[in-house]
Amino acid sequence: MKKVLLKTESLSKSFSSGGAMQHVLKNIDLELYEGDFTVIMGASGAGKSTLLYALSGMDTPTLGKITFGGQVISDLSPDELAVFRRRHCGFVFQQIYLIDGMSVMDNVLAAGLLVGRDKKVLADRARELFQAVDISPETQRKFPTQISGGEAQRVGIVRGLINSPEILYADEPTGALNSRTGLHVLDTLTAFNQRGQSVVMVTHDMRSARRGSRILYLKDGVILGECNLGKYVAGDAGRHEKLSAFLAEMGW
Amino acid sequence: MYRTFLLVRSNLRRAKGQTSAIAALLLLAAAMLNMWLMLSMDYKQNFDRCHDRLHAEHVTLVMDGDPDEVRPFLTRTLEEEPRTTEYYMGDCLSIVGSFAYNGGEANTELVILEKEAALSRDIGKVEIVEEGGENSGVYLPILYKTGDIDIGKTIELKIGSNTAKFTICGFFNSVMAGSHNCVLCELLLTQDQYQALEEKGYAPRSTLLSVRIADKSESEDFEAALKSKVTAMFPGARVSSNSYTLVTTSRYISQMICSGIISAMAFIILIIVLVVIASNIVNYIQENMKNLGALKAVGYTSGQLVRSLLLQFLGISLLVAALGIGLSYILFPFLNAMMISQTGIPYGVGFLPLPCLFTLVILGAAVALTVWLASRRIKKIDPILALRQGIQTHNFQKNHVPLEKTGMPLQLALALKSTLSGFRQNVTVCATMLVLSLMVVFSGLMIENMIVDIKPFLYMVVGEIADSCINVNVGVEEDFLQEMAADADVEKIYLYSMMNVRHVGGVELMATLCDDFAKVNNQDVCIEGRFPRYDNEMAIAAKYAREKDLKIGDEITLTVGEREENYLITGFTQMTNNLGKDCLLTREGYEKMGDLQNLSFYINLGEGVDLETFHERVKEQFAGDINATIDIQSIISGTASVYVTLLTVIVCAILLLGVVIIAFVLYLLVRTRLSRKKRDYGILKALGFTTGQLILQTALSFMPAVILSVAVGLAACGLIINPLMALFLSGIGIVKCTFTVPAGFITAAGAGLAALAFGIACLLSLRIRKIQPCVLLAGE
Amino acid sequence: MNRFSFLICILLTFVLETAVLTAFMGGDSDFRQDTVAVNEILKRVEEDWPCLDRQTSPSVYDYVALDESGAVLWKTTDGLSESINAAIAHRDTILNVEQDGILVGRVIIYNGSEADYRVWKRNLAAVLTAILLIQAGALLGYTAWLHRRLVKPFHKLKSFAQRVAGGNLEVPLEMDRYNLFGAFTESFDLMRSELKKARIAEARANAGKKELVAKLSHDIKTPVASIKAASEVGLALSGSERLRDNYTQIIRKADQINTLITNLFTATLEELQQLSVNPADLDSSVLAELLENADYLHRASFSEIPPCLLHADKLRLQQVLDNIFANSYKYAGTEIVVTAAKENRRLVLTIEDFGGGVPKEELPLLKEKFRRGSNAGDREGAGLGLFISDYFMREMQGELAVENGTGGLRVSVVIPLSGAACVLTEAAELV
Repeated sequence: MKKVLLKTESLSKSFSSGGAMQHVLKNIDLELYEGDFTVIMGASGAGKSTLLYALSGMDTPTLGKITFGGQVISDLSPDELAVFRRRHCGFVFQQIYLIDGMSVMDNVLAAGLLVGRDKKVLADRARELFQAVDISPETQRKFPTQISGGEAQRVGIVRGLINSPEILYADEPTGALNSRTGLHVLDTLTAFNQRGQSVVMVTHDMRSARRGSRILYLKDGVILGECNLGKYVAGDAGRHEKLSAFLAEMGW
Repeated sequence: MYRTFLLVRSNLRRAKGQTSAIAALLLLAAAMLNMWLMLSMDYKQNFDRCHDRLHAEHVTLVMDGDPDEVRPFLTRTLEEEPRTTEYYMGDCLSIVGSFAYNGGEANTELVILEKEAALSRDIGKVEIVEEGGENSGVYLPILYKTGDIDIGKTIELKIGSNTAKFTICGFFNSVMAGSHNCVLCELLLTQDQYQALEEKGYAPRSTLLSVRIADKSESEDFEAALKSKVTAMFPGARVSSNSYTLVTTSRYISQMICSGIISAMAFIILIIVLVVIASNIVNYIQENMKNLGALKAVGYTSGQLVRSLLLQFLGISLLVAALGIGLSYILFPFLNAMMISQTGIPYGVGFLPLPCLFTLVILGAAVALTVWLASRRIKKIDPILALRQGIQTHNFQKNHVPLEKTGMPLQLALALKSTLSGFRQNVTVCATMLVLSLMVVFSGLMIENMIVDIKPFLYMVVGEIADSCINVNVGVEEDFLQEMAADADVEKIYLYSMMNVRHVGGVELMATLCDDFAKVNNQDVCIEGRFPRYDNEMAIAAKYAREKDLKIGDEITLTVGEREENYLITGFTQMTNNLGKDCLLTREGYEKMGDLQNLSFYINLGEGVDLETFHERVKEQFAGDINATIDIQSIISGTASVYVTLLTVIVCAILLLGVVIIAFVLYLLVRTRLSRKKRDYGILKALGFTTGQLILQTALSFMPAVILSVAVGLAACGLIINPLMALFLSGIGIVKCTFTVPAGFITAAGAGLAALAFGIACLLSLRIRKIQPCVLLAGE
Repeated sequence: MNRFSFLICILLTFVLETAVLTAFMGGDSDFRQDTVAVNEILKRVEEDWPCLDRQTSPSVYDYVALDESGAVLWKTTDGLSESINAAIAHRDTILNVEQDGILVGRVIIYNGSEADYRVWKRNLAAVLTAILLIQAGALLGYTAWLHRRLVKPFHKLKSFAQRVAGGNLEVPLEMDRYNLFGAFTESFDLMRSELKKARIAEARANAGKKELVAKLSHDIKTPVASIKAASEVGLALSGSERLRDNYTQIIRKADQINTLITNLFTATLEELQQLSVNPADLDSSVLAELLENADYLHRASFSEIPPCLLHADKLRLQQVLDNIFANSYKYAGTEIVVTAAKENRRLVLTIEDFGGGVPKEELPLLKEKFRRGSNAGDREGAGLGLFISDYFMREMQGELAVENGTGGLRVSVVIPLSGAACVLTEAAELV
């Protein structure tokens, strides 16, 4: 049995828009396991990103409980959540969201130094990660506006991993990229996952979803079904077939 | 036009907070500006109006002596003088006198008139302003109406060396002789009291001469010439006089100070508002690049867009200026009340169209120009490019403060990053802080040199201060000096007499004689060069020297009566007693020209010596040879307290204003920052920065500019404040200020200013709390 | 740096240099002799005459005092003019010393302007050198700047143009906002991207044409729908039995579909349609509110309700609870205990009183229409409450269970959690 990293009970999230309540997530009971590459799939508007942000402590759920390693994070204050995020979570966004005013290196270090580790150790780790994602030292000195989208997203991954988070959350990491650079980003994520990094990724793209070891299908705020691809090695044709079958079943 | 209006409305709706902050600053600026214009354009004119109404004289002269000898001579002299247009002579009693006033003593040349006679003079009549029911007593100038001096109360007058008590019947207004600032101070006695006083013989019978001349700008010259003729003819007579120029200047010193300060503040605020407006517009353009591009694409011309901004800001500023003018009319009575104790001439506040118009025009023009200059960028926006790129410009910046190399804590480093990338913000902060540090330094100077210890100010204004001044006849000089030298109470005694001399080719100067200038208390009187040491040397008032283009090392000719002598100028002095018509001579130097009849000695007494008993003792010892004893300190404190109150109010107002300005400017900056960097804040929050950290970062990012500009500003202001004050006070004969700049206070105030800015910035950036990390959800 | 700030810089440099020069030129050009100092020397000599040994305090000027005969009485230093003639030659100042109006000697004030002039010249040279250095520095800096901003970008542009000429349209031209001709390079890059766009557009147009052909062929299939109509015509016209059977088959199947659809429509019109139940997502905290409302006699004690999202009709749920509480008040009249627990994607709300319950055999009948328990006695009621409640709960995909608990009647209201129904329906569909 894999170790449970995160557990939700009746996780619900509602937004009020113009007086009417809109329930985006409904009673999600979910466990995330260590080492998994969990993919949350679903059509747009299914609440995928909302689920991701609730899981990652970016946002507080309206109802329900989220437990992370014995700590209940669903009732933390915004500041406590911030501290939680910097310790335990890494993020990769669809819009990448690097800070334009800082160089690539500083974007990563700003996140890393937050945890208060030694600057030297941190810089070394950053360089190691950069090397792993194929970002050259020259690029590290550039500004986000000067690099391509694919590079920026790989920088985003480095930023997400700089604090060695328990879980790396990726929100449609390839959404803003073309297919070629998107593939590179996915490869990077897969590679990190194979080294033991737990990843939770939201996507509505089947090609991205294929990388996951566990696929959750979200519809109207409910997890409709789950499919385990862990037994297939990467690139196995069976993986694709199984996923296609599952998605067809889910009404994809 | 309607289209433009639509744009304006949408702009305004989007920036309510900023608009109201700008409006508040504009309101202050308009109020100050209008008050200044009212003060400088009308307040002093009030004097002329009063002067005309009372048909007042341009030169006043009082002298004792037998009227039968004096008056024919005066008539003859005046008839010979072509500049005279009218003159009037009347009886009066005149002598140096004093009375308790404002916690001290008012000491001046009293000119005591009979009430009815005073009211019916052809020239220089007085008007009764307030009157009680009493029909026997004294009328005082309106200036002296204070808590202790009021209708029905009793006042004790020291007339010469005697004392008399009178009931106060009322107050009057006299243009040329209505306060101790005018050299001459009239008092009216009811007929019975006047006769009684005349019979007692406390004060000699004198003649009060009022002369109107053709050209009032020559009043000083006329006065000098007349006085020298009179003193030449009657060398033993006591002659006092004043002139139109002297009185207008001396009665309006506080008006000048107030209007100076208010104008400075008005322009300071105006500059800040303009900087803020400019940066606001530049920001607006940058943020709305896309919208503006779209509007252009729809068919708006650049001119229309600029006009919409112009209309927006001009509309607000004119509206607010009108309100500000209203505010100034609410505030003006307070200002008036504060100053009337100095001018002594009642002033009715009424609506003044011209200052209003000027305020509107100045504000409107300044705002319009700023808006126009700042919004010219709109012309450069190319609709297609703007739509395609939006704000995204090619900002290939330098990576300031690389995190890997810096030794700074993370928060500080990030703050510094945003400081270094926000040029405009820094400029606004610097401009504000520089201006504010000037205000702080000014307040510090005022507090240190006028409110806490008024001595430096008095030294500058009065020239010399000792404890006592005793005037003795020249015959007993040696005995007196011997006695004083032996007296244990006396710490120091030196000759310090005032005599009139005339500069050949110039005006009458008040010469201060001293046997040895090394002894005087205030060595700062001489602001350049040195005191005269030898009998052919003199020091002269810097203001006068400047007017006459005299330099140190020049020789000038002075005359007393018939004798002329040349003197070498060794130094420049500043005293405002005589509004810059002073000179210093050694006693030997003066005696080359004229003889001294009586001598004034300034005396410093030991600690705890009672002045009253000391004076009594000396008077007894040298009965008959002591002409006057004066308690210098109490005279000064009476006059000074008026200034101290005035300045305390001004300093408080300035400091308050400073706080308000910082708050408003920071409000604008922080708001802009938050709206521009909302995305960055969201990202940082997502990465795990807490609200507190981000607030700290924001506030810190303002600090380098704040601290730097405060430090530079304080240092620079500390250096320039004295020359600046001199410029400011040049009207009253001050050329150089030597105020001590309170380094401690200024440092503390600077630290306070920085801390205040930090606090306010923190407070204002509390809004960061509301920014959610999930603003990034925008994609969903 | 744009032209404006460049001009300002030049202007500033010029102003600075002028300021330095004027400060220097204007500062020290007063070569007048200090008459005050000279007067002081004379006065002091006159005071001490003829014993000048006391002349200790130094003055700004060096001087020599001579008596009537020309003999030196005092000199401040060596090397000064010590006779009238030497003094005249050196342009020194010669003053008469008088005692009581009688000439007793002379003072010669040394003329030091030569030395002053030399110092002044040296300073001038220094200042000029400094200014020249500033200018040279500025020029050098400007040249370097020009090289970086002008020459280098031109080289870059050159290689770019070569690439474009070679057909490589992928690599963009890097832009630099400091570049003096940024707009120029930008338009170059614009040209490149427009060229690229044109190529892509060409390829796309080709693909579009093929698509159009496919679409048209699809549209042609539509008229096939009129086949049924045609077959009816065929039936009417056909002579052979076999053909007629076939046509009949087609028509019957079509009719069957028609019937099926009609059935589907009529089936939904149920008899109790007016009591519509519209479940929606509901925060479970609402439940507490509903219970409070229902328990108007305040007899109940509530356990904590687990936070979750329910799928229920708030109005109908209130009716159900009202009914349950009213029954308890009516028949038991005891304390009520309400507990809530989450069970398998459902929230079970248990409402139990201590009124002894109902006989076991009556339990299944309680929920039926117009049935009342034997303990109803003469209490008013129609026996519809639980029936309707049960209907409501079933409509909400929930349940209403009535059983005897330990102390009395126990009613369990089972409310589905939001999302549960969704999963169920989907699952049903799959089967």
